[in-house]
Amino acid sequence: MDKLNLNEILSSVEKPARYIGGEFNEKTPFDGKFNYCICFPDVYEVGMSNLGIKIVCEAIDSVDGAYTDRCFAPWPDFGEKLKENDIPLYALGNRKPLKTFDMLGFSLQYEMSYTNVLYMLDLAGIPLKSAERGEEYPIIQAGGPCACNPEPMADFIDIFTIGDGEENMKALAELKLEVKSKDEFLRRAAEEIDGVYVPALMEVYYNDDGTIKGFSSFKKIKKAICRDLAHAVFPKRFLVPNIEAVFDRGVIEVMRGCYRGCRFCQAGFIYRPVRERDADASVETAKSLIRMSGFDELSLNSLSTGDYSRLKELIPKLREALPDVNLALPSLRLDSFEGDFVQETRKSSITFAPEAGTQRLRDVINKDVTEREIISGVTQAFEQGYTSVKLYFMLGLPTETDDDLHGIRDIVFKIRDIYAVRPKALKNLRVSVSVSTFIPKPFTPFQWEKQATKKEVEEKINLLKKDLFVKGVNFSWNNYELSEMEAVFARGDRRTGAVIEEAYKSGCIFDGWTSFFDANVEKWYAAFEKTGVNKDFYTREWGENEILPWDFIDMCVEKSFLLKERHAAYGEKVTGSCQTSCKGCGLQKIYCPKFEQHKTKKLNNA
Amino acid sequence: MIVFRYRKTDGAEFISHLDTLRHLNKTFVRAGILVKKSAGFHPHPLVYMSSPIGVGLVSYAEYCSVDTDVSPDEFKKLFNEFSPRGIKCERAFYTVKNVNLAAVINRAEYEIFGVNEFEPQDVLGRKEFFITDKRGNEKEVRNKIYSIAKEKRDCPRGSGEAYLKVLIEAGNNALRPDCFAEKLVSLYGGSHVSIIKRKAFVAEEDVDDYLSEQE
Repeated sequence: MDKLNLNEILSSVEKPARYIGGEFNEKTPFDGKFNYCICFPDVYEVGMSNLGIKIVCEAIDSVDGAYTDRCFAPWPDFGEKLKENDIPLYALGNRKPLKTFDMLGFSLQYEMSYTNVLYMLDLAGIPLKSAERGEEYPIIQAGGPCACNPEPMADFIDIFTIGDGEENMKALAELKLEVKSKDEFLRRAAEEIDGVYVPALMEVYYNDDGTIKGFSSFKKIKKAICRDLAHAVFPKRFLVPNIEAVFDRGVIEVMRGCYRGCRFCQAGFIYRPVRERDADASVETAKSLIRMSGFDELSLNSLSTGDYSRLKELIPKLREALPDVNLALPSLRLDSFEGDFVQETRKSSITFAPEAGTQRLRDVINKDVTEREIISGVTQAFEQGYTSVKLYFMLGLPTETDDDLHGIRDIVFKIRDIYAVRPKALKNLRVSVSVSTFIPKPFTPFQWEKQATKKEVEEKINLLKKDLFVKGVNFSWNNYELSEMEAVFARGDRRTGAVIEEAYKSGCIFDGWTSFFDANVEKWYAAFEKTGVNKDFYTREWGENEILPWDFIDMCVEKSFLLKERHAAYGEKVTGSCQTSCKGCGLQKIYCPKFEQHKTKKLNNA
Repeated sequence: MIVFRYRKTDGAEFISHLDTLRHLNKTFVRAGILVKKSAGFHPHPLVYMSSPIGVGLVSYAEYCSVDTDVSPDEFKKLFNEFSPRGIKCERAFYTVKNVNLAAVINRAEYEIFGVNEFEPQDVLGRKEFFITDKRGNEKEVRNKIYSIAKEKRDCPRGSGEAYLKVLIEAGNNALRPDCFAEKLVSLYGGSHVSIIKRKAFVAEEDVDDYLSEQE
């Protein structure tokens, strides 16, 4: 690459430090026997905050002869300059074109980043479709939460990895070192490694009405599960971003999975079983992380950090070991909000997510949080000096009525009443209510549900606007069209890939960014029109006996359990947390540490 | 209190001023350089930087003062071991407390490559010299240009290439060297302009000498 030319380009774009590499803790580049580049289909600041890609690189780095590098989607100003100057997209570490790597691994974190995968391939000079790529091109791999329904991206990706990446990414690297031919590698990976899906090896058959008739493969793709999280790879040093990342802090994952089973939450089901990390090992990891990075904040990540059984032991240990470091606990549930747990940084605003306005609807979604717990959490927050509360809710949930929406107003008013009786409040209370449209996701009990129409959502928002037109209350809602697209691609089949390609070719990129999406929404609708794909087909209510596009994947949570949960939702029954007893989701037959605990306890009691 | 001169090269020239400050603070933490903090409810590290340099300009003369008990020699060693590629300490030395680097440093010497040859007197002989700033406004800057000299030296583009050595206003009322170079290109032609900051001054005295005298 002509360095002078690149430097001139860098001088003319916004935030050029996104594209220079050289971050502290970067490995010295070398020519590996297997060269892998992790590609994050969003901008540098977002990608550098992601923990998953760091774990994947750490897993591959543990293989002798393997080299890992990284690349992020260039902001459009830089992307255009690369195209104009015929410079192929390059990895940040060794500055070599992506085309020269053996494998590129895309992290699929959200559906609206799909066009950016095509954008990055295009900038790298790599044909978009798997069928058009010969041996001379890198193998294109993808993983991450969206890979649980890989079908919308099936035409573009050679190999998907589904489930935990610690072991199967390492196995992939080892296999690639052994096998040179792309076809043989793909075939053997699919046969030998858990969680590997090669779309080219499977065909999908459709009924006349457009529903799925079946799949050519008899073998279900079983997700990879990392059974020994305590000894699994975890990065002890993070690359320190050149520019301020979205989360400019160290991260330790204290727990994977969630005990709760909220019926709308995909992460709560696809990351099962719950596995907790050892508290002492976490302290050691945190110490090393801070010493090697210099961060002044440490985040204890998981889907529900308050449920981590050793949190009360871990926090004082971390405070003692890292006295100058702020601890952040970003995913606390309302019912786990206790004085000791809250962020110790002095902040004025606290965020809670009741998700639904009434107890009835919270029972429907299995949120398992009572109004008393909400009130108690908020009261404690006020006692600690918080003067601003952010509340997140969802709109368009199954069985939702106007009463449930009025319930949101009732919660806000109760919070105001609690604050009003506090002695000598220094500031006026600010309440922010943010609502988003419910999106039915695969592998959840609500995977069959219909998404609310634009008209229905507009009516609900109008009702809330009237309810929440109150001094000190800020009400915001998200873009319906964006949620609609997300719903289509979350439950999309292979045919929706054509829409993604058409949208990209008409100029859609960075669609997860509202400003880009708003400008491109008509292009998206035109893409559906041109490809003949009916978006309403994917947002409708799906039949319980229908074959779903992702039914060939075994996420180890049984479909019959999801169906049972769906029926429980309509019966307004709470299933509750796995902490109290096993709910029989299916993981107990494969591997579930909590189930083993329950079993041992039962035996001991007997 | 110590002052250290550091360079921004090897890509670090594209890191903004605020991000550079973030990197400096993180480097101190990694290196175990204990920086004293301000008193008060929100203590902040006592670290003060010289005025920002434009993003993309290579520099060998950035300055920063730090309140720490670490000796200058130890500081340089630790800093360079734990700083990111391209941000490296060139020299560290003791100085008086609370030197306001942004206010005292008022001149800087730059090397400008890529401008076609011209007679420096053609610029220096003018009473007025207008440039266009980053907001598109015309500005008269003649009194901010102190010297221009033609030099020839090995440079990134090969040996013997001509470049300009210019001494211009820096600090709070700086003349941006990139805007100045753009104007020169518009007057005399040129392409592929690159700029390197070599030295900084307090009036006519090199900053290193000026601050060392205060010891």
